Amino acid sequence: MAATAGGNKIRNAKLVLLGDVGAGKSSLVLRFVKGQFIEFQESTIGAAFFSQTLAVNDETVKFEIWDTAGQERYHSLAPMYYRGAAAAIVVYDITNAASFTRAKKWVQELQAQGNPNTIMALAGNKADLVEARQVPAEEAKAYAQENGLFFMETSAKTAINVNDVFYEIAKKLLQGQQVQNPQGGMVLNQRPPERMVSSSSCCA
Amino acid sequence: MDPPPNPNPNPTDAEPQAEAGARLAALSLRGGRDLPPDFEIHEHHLDDDDDDDEGYLTAASRGGSSTCAWKGLRDDDRDGDDVSPPSPSSSGYAGERGSSLDDDPDPEPAQDWPRDKKHLDEDDASSSWRKRKKHFFILSNSGKPIYSRYGDEHKLAGFSATLQAIISFVENSGDHIKFVRSGKHQIVFLVKGPIYLVCISCTEESYEGLRGQLELMYGQLLLILTKSVNRCFEKNPKFDMAPLLGGTDAVFLSLIHAFSWNPATFLHAYTCLPLAQSTRQAASAVLQDIADSGVLFALLMCEHKVISLVGAQKATLHPDDILLLANFILSSESFRTSESFSPICLPRYNPMAFLYAYVHFFDEHTYVTLLTTRSDAFYDLKDSRTRIQNVLLKSNVLTEVQRSLHESALHVEDLPIDPSSQSASQPQSSRDMSSQSLSSEMAIGGPAGLWHFIYKSVYLDQYVSSEFPSSISNRKQQKRLYKAYQKFYASMHDKATGPHKTQFRRDEDYVLFCWITQDFELYAAFNPLADKSQAIKMCNRVCQWVRDLENEIFVYGGSALSWQYHHCWEGE
Repeated sequence: MAATAGGNKIRNAKLVLLGDVGAGKSSLVLRFVKGQFIEFQESTIGAAFFSQTLAVNDETVKFEIWDTAGQERYHSLAPMYYRGAAAAIVVYDITNAASFTRAKKWVQELQAQGNPNTIMALAGNKADLVEARQVPAEEAKAYAQENGLFFMETSAKTAINVNDVFYEIAKKLLQGQQVQNPQGGMVLNQRPPERMVSSSSCCA
Repeated sequence: MDPPPNPNPNPTDAEPQAEAGARLAALSLRGGRDLPPDFEIHEHHLDDDDDDDEGYLTAASRGGSSTCAWKGLRDDDRDGDDVSPPSPSSSGYAGERGSSLDDDPDPEPAQDWPRDKKHLDEDDASSSWRKRKKHFFILSNSGKPIYSRYGDEHKLAGFSATLQAIISFVENSGDHIKFVRSGKHQIVFLVKGPIYLVCISCTEESYEGLRGQLELMYGQLLLILTKSVNRCFEKNPKFDMAPLLGGTDAVFLSLIHAFSWNPATFLHAYTCLPLAQSTRQAASAVLQDIADSGVLFALLMCEHKVISLVGAQKATLHPDDILLLANFILSSESFRTSESFSPICLPRYNPMAFLYAYVHFFDEHTYVTLLTTRSDAFYDLKDSRTRIQNVLLKSNVLTEVQRSLHESALHVEDLPIDPSSQSASQPQSSRDMSSQSLSSEMAIGGPAGLWHFIYKSVYLDQYVSSEFPSSISNRKQQKRLYKAYQKFYASMHDKATGPHKTQFRRDEDYVLFCWITQDFELYAAFNPLADKSQAIKMCNRVCQWVRDLENEIFVYGGSALSWQYHHCWEGE
């Protein structure tokens, strides 16, 4: 969509989604990328790759999204996907307290192992299922503040706040870059070294 | 080498089916006495039960509370008398795509089929569970359930412990249990280190056949987890492995389903999509380019059929690995949504190590799989895929693939008339008979009552099979024929009595003929009244036909492929 916006730079940003099985990572991505929702979304295998561009004011961010599998057997692979990510969305299911606990573990892991510049978002998904809520919004919000994440409750089903999460991330990415650029050379998307691509390599 | 007596010397005589059945003949040119017991007794029950081995009919006819969650329609779709060839798209997948609409308040339960088919509410105390005709279990050597085809694994802990007790009881006396027969039921055991696999079946399949299926179940498990999962048991014998297989029910269900429709599961060979040689060459050339740039294997497939595949130098891809990989990809909806990058293990290639698979669907049926050892290769593989896609589009391969999918199948009706057989000196009566059967049988199959065949090229590890004729049009009949082939295969390859070169068998359903040489294996099914000498002649013609078409129906230049036949995992 925004790729044609006259003469703007497109900034590539690697984004990773992490979270427990069934939290709704794939549903959030599918809602954002394809505008779809599937009630019985099948388990993701390994990781699925998507890309989507988003216009923020007069700039464009091209997200390269890694939708990782929540299954236990894939946990050890997560660093492969969050390494060098410009942003991470940690997803939990507001109707499942265990998934919130798992989300906190992901945040810890990102803080310990990830890139300190990674923008982290906490998404409490399935916000449409208020009557089954197990995780109070206040609790999650407080946790997010303590840990410097930005927090939103989302619903992939009703589309509430889904685009907003990505839009917020894009905004923060662009802000971050403006601050960092004068100091020289903070590349947004750090891919594995052998495939280093400059964020400004593809001009529209 | 006595010539076998002709069981039906006068096939032009119309005789009642029952009589033909009673005159069952199981013959081998090497002498009928050598045949395994399986083939000397007529144990072919041809009632509706056959189809019930999936347990679906039982469930549907019960229609109780446990079955209302899933739709009979969906079942029909998957395993009913569906005329369309079985494929993952018939397993509820099409419904999913259709319903992926915004805010659908009443989503199709089709998406739920893996869970529904599993009947999670059942356990070994349920009579419905006990009535299922074919169970598969995976458990650990401490008796912990890992997988069950039906019912909730957690609730089957007691049952698993019983299975484990049986296995370890025999092992404690320094022996290994292979199977137990009890009435109509057969319990087949397969021990793979700390992992036990068990099949309980009353489907009258052979021990060898069922054990082969358990081997494939184990292979599927390795594909997902690798053999290094054994280490977890070394560290902790009580290790609970079930969570590691989370979300893979559909993969195992689809494999179990394949046991009843996909000949690759017992032939240990793969099949190709028929394509003009030049079309396939275009695809192979670009895959070869990719393989030369550091990809271990590149496979272009359409559903379960190979369009082209290449491997890096000295890397060999076993047909079972192709089967398990395709099953994994096709049964996981996840791969169709976008580009995927996932660790997978090819158990025949290296059961200990993960490879990384880049998977992309070009259209609903056609997909490329690029396998590499490098975990950071995604962007390279993504670029490679773009290159492949460009070539495929430019040389019209994808269009040709679509066309072939709908048109290029082999039909026995198209079996060419062999001119040499016309001039061959044969008794006049036989020729008359031939032309007579040609005209009368045309409506329900090929010449001389030929209904169906499977031809396997031993050197290529590939097979080709004809489409089903109208006489074998429903799934139930097709399943029955595959089961008959499967049994035939087991008896031909029986280590104790065989291997045999030819076998001719007549029962009330078909005449089955098998012919094995060092180059090929041919399995053919004829109308039950077909004449034997005619049938043999037809088989010669089929072989000639296949040879004439070989450039279109087989993939050549597969130096990357293993040309050796491995029967099972060694060193267990």
